[in-house]
Amino acid sequence: MFEAKNISVRYGKHLALDNVSLSVGEGECVVILGANGAGKSSLLRGITALSPRAPGGSVHYCGQDISDVPAFGIVELGIAHVPEGRGVFTKMSVEDNLRLGGNPVRARGSLNERRDEVLEMFPKLAERRRQIVGTMSGGEQQMVAIARALMSQPDLLLLDEPSLGLAPIVVGEMFETLKRVRDTGMSILIVEQNVHASLNLAARGYVIEAGRIVGEGDANTLMNDPVISEAFLGH
Amino acid sequence: MFFSTLVIGLVLGGTYALIALGLTIQYGIARIMNLAYGEITIAGAFFVFLLVSSMGLSPLLGLVLVVPLGFALSWLLYGIVFHPLVKRASHAGQLEIDSILVTFGLMFLAQGLFTMFFGSEFAGYSWLQTPVNLLGAKIAAGRVLGLLIAVLIGGGLWLAMQRTRWGVNLRAVANHPEFAPLVGINRNSAARVAFGLGGAIAAAGGAVMSMYQPFTAVDGGFLTMKALVIVIMGGVGNLGGALMAGLMIGVVEAYVSYAIDPGLTLAATYTIFLGVLLWRPKGLFA
Ligand SMILES: Nc1ncnc2c1ncn2[C@@H]1O[C@H](COP(=O)(O)OP(=O)(O)O)[C@@H](O)[C@H]1O
Ligand SMILES: [Mg+2]
Repeated sequence: MFEAKNISVRYGKHLALDNVSLSVGEGECVVILGANGAGKSSLLRGITALSPRAPGGSVHYCGQDISDVPAFGIVELGIAHVPEGRGVFTKMSVEDNLRLGGNPVRARGSLNERRDEVLEMFPKLAERRRQIVGTMSGGEQQMVAIARALMSQPDLLLLDEPSLGLAPIVVGEMFETLKRVRDTGMSILIVEQNVHASLNLAARGYVIEAGRIVGEGDANTLMNDPVISEAFLGH
Repeated sequence: MFFSTLVIGLVLGGTYALIALGLTIQYGIARIMNLAYGEITIAGAFFVFLLVSSMGLSPLLGLVLVVPLGFALSWLLYGIVFHPLVKRASHAGQLEIDSILVTFGLMFLAQGLFTMFFGSEFAGYSWLQTPVNLLGAKIAAGRVLGLLIAVLIGGGLWLAMQRTRWGVNLRAVANHPEFAPLVGINRNSAARVAFGLGGAIAAAGGAVMSMYQPFTAVDGGFLTMKALVIVIMGGVGNLGGALMAGLMIGVVEAYVSYAIDPGLTLAATYTIFLGVLLWRPKGLFA
């Protein structure tokens, strides 16, 4: 349902992403693994046009060429991006953030049902609907970010290191929640450095190094791949 | 006398607050520091003055007409002048400096045009001068109506910003413009709408001001300065803060002018401003 072909992202002279191609199937969960600075965030930002892509390359989604869609038009198509660092509106309430998530026309019809479903998935947020997001813990803010993305009723969810900076218990809870999201049949493309948990979540993965894809395979193969253990587990 | 001075101050502060609301929206959401802001207010005042004095129409009709005109004028101005600046600005600081320089020039241009068409005399009309008794203070009915209109517009705007999709979107752009696309907001068009909205409020403030106070072609600069003080006191982009700070400045001016000397009101305003800048640079309510 989703396919990026030969996309590159450049910051000035620095080529952060070099001709990367990848695909995500209907209802599939795919992980992108890579060390710090490998270009994982640039890949997601290039996909959603938050960072301009270099000329050449294309992005197709549900049979449609979306290469020229501007960043603000992406979520309307059904692709929700939870960026690294969460991208929540810190001076606004949880309620406001969720409401913003429901901005796309595709989500407006069933806003209240949607909010109830999302709050059921994140019960902690239900108790804190009026709290200003900037006053919440990192884990709670990450929940707000994911909940906001779900409010847009996406078909494809892009997650950029959702476990970054969270306490181990919170990381566990978050992956549990993500499993439930996955089991609803939503397609997910997740960037992670938490290899073990993310390979448990995903069916398939890509390995990215210095802006290029250097390996891919199904989750089991990657889990047992010595190159991956070497790159991420430090042995 | 204590009480009537308070009422006079609130009436004055109501217009200040209204005018400052538009500036805080332009600066907080569109990120444009508009030094020609007061000129939109004066343009609104002249427009209503013309309607009333040469066509005999009601100032209230003038107010209704001036709001969409103020929006359209500012919206066009954004597209012609500021959009290119936004596009070429490499960072927020750059846009701020560029917009200050450009609007400083626009201020003189507008003041020149106003002087050319209307001369440098005071302009004004008399409307609803009959004094009404407001909790012991005798105040011209026009002023009281002006306060009511200011409160209505300010309160309505605040509600719209809290409750409507449109208002929530504008607040999101004020908070983190870089994240706006994630929730489907086109930040450039949001900025343009915010700039237009600010202009509509500026013009409405001018219409209200003209209802009870004569003005000149070059008064805009003072209005901008006063509005800027209120915006910073209230916290940039904080509508409630601007409302409170505007009323406060009005009351302080009223007391200073009554108890000390009318010539000292501006000095008093700037003393408060200095205090805020030194001790509460993010605003009184941060
Ligand atoms: N805004 C930016 N400006 C300049 N260089 C950047 C920017 N963002 C990322 N980079 C560089 O691009 C490379 C890839 O970064 P990134 O995509 O953030 O990697 P990852 O998410 O895998 O850690 C890094 O070398 C990083 O320093
Ligand atoms: Mg990253």
